[in-house]
Amino acid sequence: MKYLLGVDIGGTFTDFVSFNQESNAVEVWKNPSTPHDPFDGVLTGLEQMEQIGDVQRLRLGTTIATNAILQRAGANVAYITTKGFRDIPFIQRGNRKAHYDMTWVKAKPLVKRRHCYEIDERVDARGEVITPLDEDEVRALAAKIRSEGVVEAIAVNFLFSYLNPAHELRLKDIFLEEAPDLPISISYEVLPKWKEYERASTTLADAYLKPLVGRSFDSMNKRFDELGLEGRVAVMKSNGGECSFAAAAAQPVQMTVSGPTGGVVASRALSKLIDMPNLVTFDMGGTSTDCATIINGEEKFTTSFEIEWGLPIQIPMIDVRTIGAGGGSIAWIDKGGLLQVGPQSAGADPAPACYGLGGDQATVTDANLVLGRLNADEFLGGKMSIDASKAHEVVKKVADELTMGVEETANAIVQIANNNMVGALRSVLLERGHDPRDFALLGFGGAGPLHINELVVLENIPHAVVPVHPGQFSALGFVMTDARTDKQRTIQQTSARFDSDGASALMKDLVDMAVNELRGQGFTEELEIYRNIDLRYLGQNYELQLPYSASEFTEEGLADMWKRFHEAHEARFNFHIPGETIEMVNLSTAVVAPSQKPELATLPKGSGSPPQKGERNIWFDSAFEASAVYDRADFLDGHRVEGPAIIREVASTTVLCPGFGARADSYGNLHITKAGS
Amino acid sequence: MRLAANGLYIEEYVKCANCGSLIYESELPSTVAVEGKGLFCSQWCVDWAKKREERKEQGS
Amino acid sequence: MDPVMMKVLDSTMVSICREMGIVLMQTSYSTIFNEALDFSCAIANRDGDMIACAEFCPAQIGGMPLMAKSVVKEIPLDQIYEGDVILHNDPYRGGLHTPEHTLFKPIFVDDEIRGFAVSIGHIAEVGGMVPGGFCGEATEIFHEGLRIPPVKIVSKGKDNEDIWRLMLANVRTPRYNFGDLRALISAVDLGERRMKEIYEKYGVDAVDQTCNDLMDYSERRMRAEIKQIPDGIYPFEDVVEDDGIEDRQYKIFVEVHKDGDDIVADFTGSAKQAKGPINATLGVTMSATYNALLHMTDPTIPKNSGCFRPIRVVAPAGTVVNVDFPAPEVGGNTETHPRIAGTVIGALAQVIPHLSMAAEGCTHGNFVFGGVHADTKEFFACYDIEVVGWGGRSFADGNDACDSINGNCRVTPVEVFEARYPWRVEDWVFREDSAGAGKHRGGVGYTKTLTCLNDEIIISQMTDRHKTQPWGLNGGLPGGMGATLFMKSGSSEWQTAVQAYNKNSPSKFSNISIVKGDRVQLVMPAGGGYGAPPDRDPEAVREDVAEGYVSADAARDIYGQRGADK
Repeated sequence: MKYLLGVDIGGTFTDFVSFNQESNAVEVWKNPSTPHDPFDGVLTGLEQMEQIGDVQRLRLGTTIATNAILQRAGANVAYITTKGFRDIPFIQRGNRKAHYDMTWVKAKPLVKRRHCYEIDERVDARGEVITPLDEDEVRALAAKIRSEGVVEAIAVNFLFSYLNPAHELRLKDIFLEEAPDLPISISYEVLPKWKEYERASTTLADAYLKPLVGRSFDSMNKRFDELGLEGRVAVMKSNGGECSFAAAAAQPVQMTVSGPTGGVVASRALSKLIDMPNLVTFDMGGTSTDCATIINGEEKFTTSFEIEWGLPIQIPMIDVRTIGAGGGSIAWIDKGGLLQVGPQSAGADPAPACYGLGGDQATVTDANLVLGRLNADEFLGGKMSIDASKAHEVVKKVADELTMGVEETANAIVQIANNNMVGALRSVLLERGHDPRDFALLGFGGAGPLHINELVVLENIPHAVVPVHPGQFSALGFVMTDARTDKQRTIQQTSARFDSDGASALMKDLVDMAVNELRGQGFTEELEIYRNIDLRYLGQNYELQLPYSASEFTEEGLADMWKRFHEAHEARFNFHIPGETIEMVNLSTAVVAPSQKPELATLPKGSGSPPQKGERNIWFDSAFEASAVYDRADFLDGHRVEGPAIIREVASTTVLCPGFGARADSYGNLHITKAGS
Repeated sequence: MRLAANGLYIEEYVKCANCGSLIYESELPSTVAVEGKGLFCSQWCVDWAKKREERKEQGS
Repeated sequence: MDPVMMKVLDSTMVSICREMGIVLMQTSYSTIFNEALDFSCAIANRDGDMIACAEFCPAQIGGMPLMAKSVVKEIPLDQIYEGDVILHNDPYRGGLHTPEHTLFKPIFVDDEIRGFAVSIGHIAEVGGMVPGGFCGEATEIFHEGLRIPPVKIVSKGKDNEDIWRLMLANVRTPRYNFGDLRALISAVDLGERRMKEIYEKYGVDAVDQTCNDLMDYSERRMRAEIKQIPDGIYPFEDVVEDDGIEDRQYKIFVEVHKDGDDIVADFTGSAKQAKGPINATLGVTMSATYNALLHMTDPTIPKNSGCFRPIRVVAPAGTVVNVDFPAPEVGGNTETHPRIAGTVIGALAQVIPHLSMAAEGCTHGNFVFGGVHADTKEFFACYDIEVVGWGGRSFADGNDACDSINGNCRVTPVEVFEARYPWRVEDWVFREDSAGAGKHRGGVGYTKTLTCLNDEIIISQMTDRHKTQPWGLNGGLPGGMGATLFMKSGSSEWQTAVQAYNKNSPSKFSNISIVKGDRVQLVMPAGGGYGAPPDRDPEAVREDVAEGYVSADAARDIYGQRGADK
């Protein structure tokens, strides 16, 4: 059992990475995705592996959950809530996506109003029951839903259930008795935090996905068995950890950002390997780009994700920002005569004009071709032929409208695309209070290495890295991750009045739940336990998260924690309020079952430059410049080349600007910095 | 708008007789005073008010 | 003009404004800030022109240029120093209403002022006659809280503590006001820091030139949009139903003059100013006119002062659309603003119906209350915002439960509301048949019922549309009205404030004492419909019946759909 496999089902391609634990060899390959049944593409790719019986474990990144929500292909859900509040999923929060857009249409929740039901019960803001649960009403409702046969899953969200879950838990028991075949998601188990709409939206998404995900995973398991796969099969969660198919099917909302987390996990591993603690990741594909940060060697988490505007999914997940812009983004001229790029994308159909599949609008990929940054004869290692004249033709159409030169126009398209990418980088850096000058930019995905050098210039980032296997980097991350479970709960205590025993008991409860979940998935090894607390000044409504390592809340521990909060507030917001009462809002834990990590092979030492493979004219700023061409595979540890240059590999191309140099490290990662630095 | 000589409070609020915008003392040089109609912030406002009256007469 | 630089700088400045907003949301104390998001952040040049803003509150954004102008008129640039922060809320100096606190921080580069970082926020408690700022029965500006002319609350980086003491002595919730002001200062500090970096990176001349190009660009795009509207003079009118003092309507009248690529909105003919607080300042009326036109034009135009150049507003002094000192005006910014914007949209709907919508609910509820919390013994004050149904459009139904056009606020979650304030929310439900019927129906309105848990809570309200309906467009029917109803402890009858407390108006009142067990019901208006109801797609009618938005009776009687059962 020597192979570790990572498989990432993307929109265009399904990527495969296999790691041989005996030889440390990494192999990568890809084949076209099969949107009608994504698992077909997985099986096709696995069939290329001769020793499938020798696979120790396989981890899968899947868009099944994301797509089911975005395409509204999930189940008929019933929403059950406190009497008086069935409209919360529809009222939402009342604000609009943009401040001056009369055309905006409010997001529809994942439930029909006719399937929303109220139960007589009420818990107050202190967690005390003021109206007991009407169990007869629950039983009658279960019978009605079962007999009607329309609803396929149940979402339950009672007010203040995060303070007192008794009614939700009892309702679940009754439903398990009365309608045992209906999957049920209760908000206390999905998201035990305050704010009823956000909790409703998250719980609804969970129920909405359950039937579909359950069916898909069952069928996938059967097909893996038929293929002779005996190793452990797991799926990537939004928190960057893996879990079993069964655990994922039990809480599918955990998978809403599955694939993109792989790139972040791989980045975290790389960060340690090459000792660069602060990275910002830039994963640019054909239709979308994902950005995230690694800070002090750790990925960042968020609980404010929205799958589309107005539909929050607030479980803890890796903070990945996705924008709908990539190589396929289309260039166009707006009514004010200004060149714009995207958000419309040529996607895989009709695809960029140069693919010759019928696309007749200029895309970023076409512009890169005009500028000589891509070569028509070498696309995907020559496996795919593209048409440079077609690219020239469509860019010229734009150029004529702007009365600019073709190359100048192509350059402007690339610069504006870069600017859109910078917007995504800013959303994870500046808007979170981070200074780009403290980071290195890690560029991967098919198109990332093409743009990375210009992006570091634009965003004042001093250092860029193109990792090994940039085209399959996410799948590589799957091989490197651990099993991980996150739990969180709202608690309301203040520095003025603090119940240490209560808080310690709650924290223990969370940790025990997470540990049991992992033990239940068969992890017998020692687990890593992390504890966090969310704090704010009494009166504020948003929290800063601090780590809290001890299992008990002692007097010294608390004093240190309040002090650390003042410091953290000063660091993040440039001010703190001495003497102000501090409120503790949430406790959370992350429990990790560490898996054995692959060790990447190192390269032999080299000196000087790798052999040059010719020369090509590439446009930078305002003119073509003769640029050296190199092959990535020729780089040895310590090899350095100077820009302007192009570094080719099968699934990607790295562009090196004039005035910049690239050096390979001992693993073959390329480091781009200003010449002379 | 006229501030007191000591600069600490407002003595009089002066507004354009057409568009109603507040006229600060420093803006007085660019204003137009029309006999019987008051102070206008600009010639445009004088003309606009006149046209409005003409339209009203034609209409009534 | 360097198109790439323009795009880069525009998106950079918008993201700076967004970053400022995140700091404000995350550090402020009042729910009106951190849950409702009633704040805005912007960058202005040294002439006071707004050069960038992010997706915040339209009322504040359109009102900002006039406030900036009064700052630079009253504090000469040579008396503004690096590290100063100027605070301003005076409605009679270009402001919008007293709760709207605007902070300006100068951006210095090489010892010269280049512009301002600006944050505007609605601070819930401002002193005055009622807790929470909105006094529905005010008859003077002095009832509406502390007026603050442009003053430095921070001088060369140090708090001007005398000003702080004076301000905080005049409000009921000083701890909260302090927290909110700190948050607003933190935001402008950040904006200043980031803009300095931009100037250092690109150079002063390049940045200033590009900002001018950007405003020219936005002006060009606005003019291109305006040009497509047929020339002509388009009148429209609506009313504010009363002013809280007298039971009569106040007319908002506009003539929109469209000539070439210019627009003049002339409000001559609007009612004389009211005794009560429904009056709008000129800043509000300008902001409302801009708001309407920005909603009717391409949403992708960068939002800066260039957008406003083709638009002129004529609002005679002494009217409800340009109030004279010292009349009250707190509701002008929330209630009269959407009415003014609605009349501009209604006027232009005659020629560009496809870019218009029927009237939305046009109120934020403005339910304010305060008291001493029995558990904490601390004084609380809350400005509660509620949302309405939006108007039907030529291409879609109105959005259900959506903030009125001049805000972009969120409702406060029940679980936050009950944890903070001694109320129990009993229900929060959509009202069947409230939406104005039409080919595209209006957005649905809701009802929220509250029970008082404290010994006493003092409540006030400043809302509208309890006597007049939001209008429909092109054959669409008007939307359902709002109401505020009371059921005293032990009673079983719902009454209006007029019936229960002998107030002048059911929608505008102040200082009603609510005691434990009393209930208050807030009914929010729905949107008007667009197009004749019988033209509605029968499938859409059936769906509305199945979803409980439209009754089977209404489906039959108004839409002419038989057999549309649940």
